[in-house]
Amino acid sequence: MRNFGFCGAILVVTASVALAAGSGGARGKAAGATAQSAPNDKEQMYIGRADQIRAGDKLFRQHCAECHGADGHGIGRAANLQSPHVQAKSPAELVEFLRNGNLWKGMPSWAGLPEERRWQIVAYIKTLRAQ
Amino acid sequence: MRFAWIRCVLWLSALIVAGTAAARPAGAQEPPYFVAYGQAMEEPGNLEINFNASYGTQRGGNDYIAYWTEFEYGATGWWTTEFYLDGQSTFHDSSVFTGFRWENRFHPLMKQHWINPVLYVEYENTTEADKTMKEVVGFDGQDDFVPRNSELNGTDHELETKIILGSNFKGWDVSENFIGEKNLGHEPWEFGYAVGASRPLRLEATPRECTFCRENFVAGAEMYGGLGTVSNFTLNGTSHYFAPILAWRLPNGWNLRISPTFGLTDASHLFMLRFGASYEFAELGRKLRSLFQ
Repeated sequence: MRNFGFCGAILVVTASVALAAGSGGARGKAAGATAQSAPNDKEQMYIGRADQIRAGDKLFRQHCAECHGADGHGIGRAANLQSPHVQAKSPAELVEFLRNGNLWKGMPSWAGLPEERRWQIVAYIKTLRAQ
Repeated sequence: MRFAWIRCVLWLSALIVAGTAAARPAGAQEPPYFVAYGQAMEEPGNLEINFNASYGTQRGGNDYIAYWTEFEYGATGWWTTEFYLDGQSTFHDSSVFTGFRWENRFHPLMKQHWINPVLYVEYENTTEADKTMKEVVGFDGQDDFVPRNSELNGTDHELETKIILGSNFKGWDVSENFIGEKNLGHEPWEFGYAVGASRPLRLEATPRECTFCRENFVAGAEMYGGLGTVSNFTLNGTSHYFAPILAWRLPNGWNLRISPTFGLTDASHLFMLRFGASYEFAELGRKLRSLFQ
């Protein structure tokens, strides 16, 4: 009897993971393959768009402002996001940098944030050069 | 006298809650599991305080509430250290402080991959009355909790190791843990596992601040159990649990979690309800250092 319960739970977990992969794929197709789009497509979806920049501003205040400052100028060892060095990076490079972080130098990985939110943060970071 | 430590914890908790009013919150990205660990590390310099409880029912023995407080600190980008204080109250019995744990997690790879390993080492100094069940190993089961608290006097000094594997894909966190635990007395290695999957209900953030919007909720499930000992590596006679989880991030920085947990085998506890609240203090290390400069 207990084996049925154990096997049943394994089935539930397996089905959940399968559903996760399946729903992700379906959503990707329905929404223009968000996660599999080329960087240029992502740039068009996120960079320079007012609603995405406002969402990125909110996320920046939640996750980044404490180290980088509300205007991104950088506090202590945290990088100045207004600097030409950062602003010269392409949005796709910045999104990838957010995913990996720089663990040796204290920049955490933000892989736990959905990729969509990392693009929204970069959309906001790209507006900092104008300040 | 027995409740003196509970009063201390309550006072400490009240101070921490009051302190959050003056602190700026930080955005946590850890998955919401109670037992399984993901690959996410605490951000360097941040201190996250978790208050957790587990209400458990048993086929034999009295119901209980086990509670533990976690102090999780990001020492560096690749090293997170965490200190736990554990206690429990058993109905029709007593409340006892059950010990402490000190854990360290190390992220050895500097870049993200499909599967990311994290190494985990923990020292536990807990009594036999500890009911937090932060992990299930060996032949841990509900029979361990049946005796009265006064009969569970022995202290366990244990070394717990884990290999944590974590993946992030299309908003999903998938985590697998393989656990090896050694009582530093003359006990064999015991093994266990924990797996979990979770995902925010909405991947993109909305431009406005909101409390009940889907982006603030994370849903998932975890499963964990024992795998016997080094001399008897088996599923027979071990306990296993399945637990759906819902987490809610409030705009003021608090994170709330709840997880009904179901025992799957005869050795398992019948049902547990785990719940917790956490708050992350951003850049606490830098602020403390600045006080002395």
